[in-house]
Amino acid sequence: MKPPVSTIHSAPLAGPDSAANPPGSVDLAFVDAAVERLGRTPAALIPILQAVQGHYGYLPARALERIGEITAITPAAITGVSTFYDMFRHAPVGRHLVRVCHGTACHVTGSERVEDALRRQLRIPDGDDTDPDRQFTIEPVACLGCCTLAPVVRIGGSTFGHTTAEKVPQLLRDFLESQRALGGSARSTEDLKARPGRAIEIHVGLGSCCMAKGSDRLFHALVDHAERCGGSVVVKRVGCVGMCHRTPLVEVAEANGRSTFYAGVQPGNAAALLERHLRPRAWLARVSRFWENAIDQVLVDRTEPDQVRSCALDLREGSVSAFLGKQVHIATEHFGKLDPLDLDEYLAHDGFIALRRCLAGLDARARPTPLDAPAPHTDADSAPGAQPPGNALSPERPPLSPEEIIDAIVASGLRGRGGAGFPSGRKWQVARQQPGAVKYVVGNGDEGDPGAFMDRMILESFPYRVIEGLAIAAVAIGAHEGAFYIRHEYPLAVRRVRAAILELERRGWLGDALCGSPYPLRITIKEGAGAFVCGEETALIQSVEGRRGMPSLRPPFPAQSGLWGKPTLINNVETLAMVPWIIRHGPEAFAAIGTDTSKGTKVFALAGRVRRGGLIEIPMGTTVREIVEDIGGGVEAGRRFKAVQIGGPSGGCVPARLADTPVDYESLQRVGAIMGSGGLVVLDDSTCMVDIARYFLQFTQDQSCGKCTFCRIGTKRMLEILDRLCGGRGHKQDLDELESLAVQISRGSLCGLGKTAPNPVLTTLRYYRDEYEAHIQGRCPAGKCLPLIKYHITADCTGCTLCAQHCPVDAIPIAPYERHVINLDLCTRCDSCRRVCPHHAVEVT
Amino acid sequence: MNDTENGTPRQTPEFEIVIDGRPVTVREGETVLAGARRLGLDIPTLCYLPKCGPLTSCLVCLVKVRAGGGGGGRLVPSCGLEVQPGMVIESETDEVRTARRTALELLFSDHVGDCLAPCHRLCPLHLNIPVMLRQVETQAWDAATSTVLRALPMPAILGRLCHHPCENGCRRGTHDQPTAIRDVERLVADRDLASSSPFLPPRKPATGKSVAIIGAGPTGLAAAFFLLREGHGVTIFDRHDKPGGSLRIEVAGGALDSATLDAEMNRLRALGAQFSLGVELGRDETLEGLLPRFDAVLVAWGQKDKARDSLGLTTTPTGIRADPLTAATSRSKVFAAGAAIRPIKHLVRAMSEGRSAALAVHRTLVGLKAGGEQRLFSSVMGRLSAPELGLFLIGHNPAPRISPGQGVLRGFTVLEGRGEAGRCLHCDCRAEGNCQLQHYGELYGVEPGRFRSQRRPFEQHLERGEIVFEPGKCILCGICVRITELAREPLGLTFIGRGFDVRVAAPLDRAIADGLQKVARECVEACPTGALAFKHDVRPPEP
Repeated sequence: MKPPVSTIHSAPLAGPDSAANPPGSVDLAFVDAAVERLGRTPAALIPILQAVQGHYGYLPARALERIGEITAITPAAITGVSTFYDMFRHAPVGRHLVRVCHGTACHVTGSERVEDALRRQLRIPDGDDTDPDRQFTIEPVACLGCCTLAPVVRIGGSTFGHTTAEKVPQLLRDFLESQRALGGSARSTEDLKARPGRAIEIHVGLGSCCMAKGSDRLFHALVDHAERCGGSVVVKRVGCVGMCHRTPLVEVAEANGRSTFYAGVQPGNAAALLERHLRPRAWLARVSRFWENAIDQVLVDRTEPDQVRSCALDLREGSVSAFLGKQVHIATEHFGKLDPLDLDEYLAHDGFIALRRCLAGLDARARPTPLDAPAPHTDADSAPGAQPPGNALSPERPPLSPEEIIDAIVASGLRGRGGAGFPSGRKWQVARQQPGAVKYVVGNGDEGDPGAFMDRMILESFPYRVIEGLAIAAVAIGAHEGAFYIRHEYPLAVRRVRAAILELERRGWLGDALCGSPYPLRITIKEGAGAFVCGEETALIQSVEGRRGMPSLRPPFPAQSGLWGKPTLINNVETLAMVPWIIRHGPEAFAAIGTDTSKGTKVFALAGRVRRGGLIEIPMGTTVREIVEDIGGGVEAGRRFKAVQIGGPSGGCVPARLADTPVDYESLQRVGAIMGSGGLVVLDDSTCMVDIARYFLQFTQDQSCGKCTFCRIGTKRMLEILDRLCGGRGHKQDLDELESLAVQISRGSLCGLGKTAPNPVLTTLRYYRDEYEAHIQGRCPAGKCLPLIKYHITADCTGCTLCAQHCPVDAIPIAPYERHVINLDLCTRCDSCRRVCPHHAVEVT
Repeated sequence: MNDTENGTPRQTPEFEIVIDGRPVTVREGETVLAGARRLGLDIPTLCYLPKCGPLTSCLVCLVKVRAGGGGGGRLVPSCGLEVQPGMVIESETDEVRTARRTALELLFSDHVGDCLAPCHRLCPLHLNIPVMLRQVETQAWDAATSTVLRALPMPAILGRLCHHPCENGCRRGTHDQPTAIRDVERLVADRDLASSSPFLPPRKPATGKSVAIIGAGPTGLAAAFFLLREGHGVTIFDRHDKPGGSLRIEVAGGALDSATLDAEMNRLRALGAQFSLGVELGRDETLEGLLPRFDAVLVAWGQKDKARDSLGLTTTPTGIRADPLTAATSRSKVFAAGAAIRPIKHLVRAMSEGRSAALAVHRTLVGLKAGGEQRLFSSVMGRLSAPELGLFLIGHNPAPRISPGQGVLRGFTVLEGRGEAGRCLHCDCRAEGNCQLQHYGELYGVEPGRFRSQRRPFEQHLERGEIVFEPGKCILCGICVRITELAREPLGLTFIGRGFDVRVAAPLDRAIADGLQKVARECVEACPTGALAFKHDVRPPEP
């Protein structure tokens, strides 16, 4: 069952210890070439390390020395940086990397049990991360951003959602199968060009979540079948549809304007889906298909057409309209309709109108020429209807000078969507007021919160919109260089934004002449290397400059002195995605949405113990209850809604009894949570609040940069107390100690990460102190903390042996027709027996 | 800081800010720390070294910004906080000091090392034993005598009679046998007494206050020794004709020769002690009679006296009732200590009680808040694993414990004493007494064990150039990393890893010494703790 070894990796891998590599055994030609390509300055360090790791699979010691020899980068910087970021490995890995997501949603849905099962199945010894055959290396990751599919496992390039401990063997088989089928490489979804104007358009959502559920395979299957059907069908890639709980989602738009949605279509059903909307021309084919179906019907219960039919969604159906009904789409405008990379389509949907107004407001010399003049657009594939609308500069929308742009942002009331909610307009003003000709703009796409994936989705689905927002910010403050900082865990987002930048450069709209104006603007992409703290502005700057991402004291703020000591405007990508809409519709329109102090909309990643998870954009002021119950459809049947966790590791829990709290910056702060970047994880009564607090603290403690005392040591000490509590070793005085330490850490820490790290503990202590006390007494009311719970089988057992068959550690002896018994000394509390028992005879106490 | 623009000097703007309610003039671009220091405030800093700029890592220099500079009552590290007009800062408030103490306590909770060696901590009189042993080993006899007499009132007597609890804690003892600390100490004391002018510890200027001590036994004599050093006058009353109290029993038993006892009594006399012998309280003298003549009376007689008279003081079944911390009895200006309160078994314990009582009396005399002696401050590692102990054994003197060749009564020869002193493993910290963390920990009343949990293993790297690196003592201040950066060390030092597991090391798996080719001394001197040191740098004796 082993896949063929691909040529790149055919060289035998060295042992786990890099020191085992005798010097010179590593071919360093690649290092030399990478340095040649990426530069020799300190800023090139992270890209060089990424390239080197991409090539060798890890960072061989000899390669690191070589980098020091041939660049201006000091050995201290090389070692310091390569050991700071999560992605860098200093020892060889197995052939396949198994990344187990430990995001919030995955955690509450059982990622730890999945990881245990993977380790068992792969026979990875304790304390190691690679199996003895060096086939698989397991790597826990903070968050893959596919929260609606939780728990998620990514093996190589394939993502698997809704995994469970019992599904692990099948999952590994599926992966190896797909490796064999594809020869190890997946087909790209970036270099495809849609050809609109056909009779039928089939829209396939190609966000990361959808692709994890196989939408890319479905997409390719549809493309292949569509080609066979002749030219009447076009299969079009679109961005995130938001309804992640129904992925993969397909929309079939027919020429007559009729649209049909399908949820959960499998690649194998591609042909059937096409047939449902196409009448084959040849009568012979029709007859043959009739017979095939008839035979199928005899042989199997359900035929393909049946399966397809059952996937069709009725848009008037309650759940769909409830999910979409309360949403207002600004950052996600035209969601599910736009091809993320089709520039002409973006233009046809008012794209770059806002930027052109802003460019027109620069002095007369800088007035832009019509969009397509400088670089004649000759792409034969582009549709006639995709030309930019001529009335973009209508009289009621006059050009905006940089000051007017900033005034508009101020008037809109837009606040930073990255977490802290600082008024964006003020930040822009400060950056504009700074003297000096060199300024920078940075789009912050380092969305590190576990349980959040808004930024990923926005970057994947609306790259042009974010670029437009960044360009407007650049024009407003007078910057000529911009960058996107995107975490490397979001490879698709990186590829899409890169492709979008390339397309704009190809047309001559980025570079020397922004959209044909004499205003030069260059935009590059900086890939993160795995460090949550780099979402903090000052740490982000350190990282872009090629250093360890350690925050520094503010002031000075980056808008005063940032990248390379120059004024640097850093905005979250969701904030930037709002900007074009505000300019187009006017600040009043934006300010009309939301509450007094929180204007506009906010994108949330709704996940966890909720029936309809997905990506939603709602007006500020919507209540927690509306989000969970109306949009999300509430928790699973039989469960009780307990709380929502907002703001991830920096935020807190809003208990169900406060569910009428409106979601705006101030109200959330009052109840102890924060807006955060927009992760919204629903918790039900199966969630242990002490465990949740411990989970988040584990995260921040892992992600602490280690610079300041309070965060480095303080969070560790808090975590130790929480570990004690969850392990049943808590003392009475632990709670007071925990609380006072939490207060000191939030007061004393240097940066936002440390200051907010105690929030999850403080809010759970505030609302669920009884659960903490129960843990001290040795009980976990939610039945989550493994050392505090026991599994046993009740008298309802019929002796069906299913539990015994599924027990991965043989803790249940097989006893047909008799009541089974669990050997608690062997039991690992993996929950498999409870899940498989058809009679609900397995109890947790 | 003058800025020269077009050849004309331009004065940097000055303005006032307020710290703890006091205005201070500062220059633009200065830090709050600089302003506070100008006011004489001792804001603690560990990671701050002017040439390195603010590293803002230790966060023990927090101040509260009440107004100006973002204000809002934030706690901000003062070393990196630039002054702004209108700033109002709080520094020495409970809130701020609690935050600083928490930062220090967190640092101590992850500080792997002993400030003081176990023997030092176990000595009831707090003799700095490892320093004494190193002084003996290097034949720095005067320094050794000074070290001994800083702590021990009658070292020649203790050198013969002490039950040496110090040796129970000796880390060498877990390997083979503990160092013979008492015998080495006796050698130092005897050499001193044999010299033409035995050493007299310095006395502070006379205070004009005088104390009557009742009982010339170990407790009373020790109390006299410490009171004299504080500059007070002391008269010791005893009903016997000779001073010594229970020590006379030892003379009678042959464990102590009377010449030694007399020599130590002479040292006390030379320090200024007055003896009033053959005078019995209750018979020849009364408390009422003494109190008008003395500023304080310390009752330090033995258990034999307890049944005879309570002097009208409140008693317990074992003796006079006295506050264990302040030695105060039921009557003002009257104190009691030692066997006057309850039976005491060990000589050194009796003397340490005399010392505590002396310091309590001293506090009263000079008008300080009543209180006892501060506990010895030290980070404590506790039991060492075998590999950890092995680090201290690298390069150790393998000789077994030496017994005095001329018999126990005669004590060590110089050669023997030096040899035995050389068996010490130097398990105290090389930065002891010269460590910012220890200094501020003591000053802020830190409990080093408050947040302690599972400690990391102790590490000690002995490297080229006599460099000793103890990563567990590193507080990751970043000073050495920055110094190597500024000096353009070819290899330098760097932070490795992230979060709780960050450590300082040389890059590319090289040794610390490789990273410190140019600036080793500078880094050792700038290290705020004992993480970086030179192997044989003996700390200069305290003034």
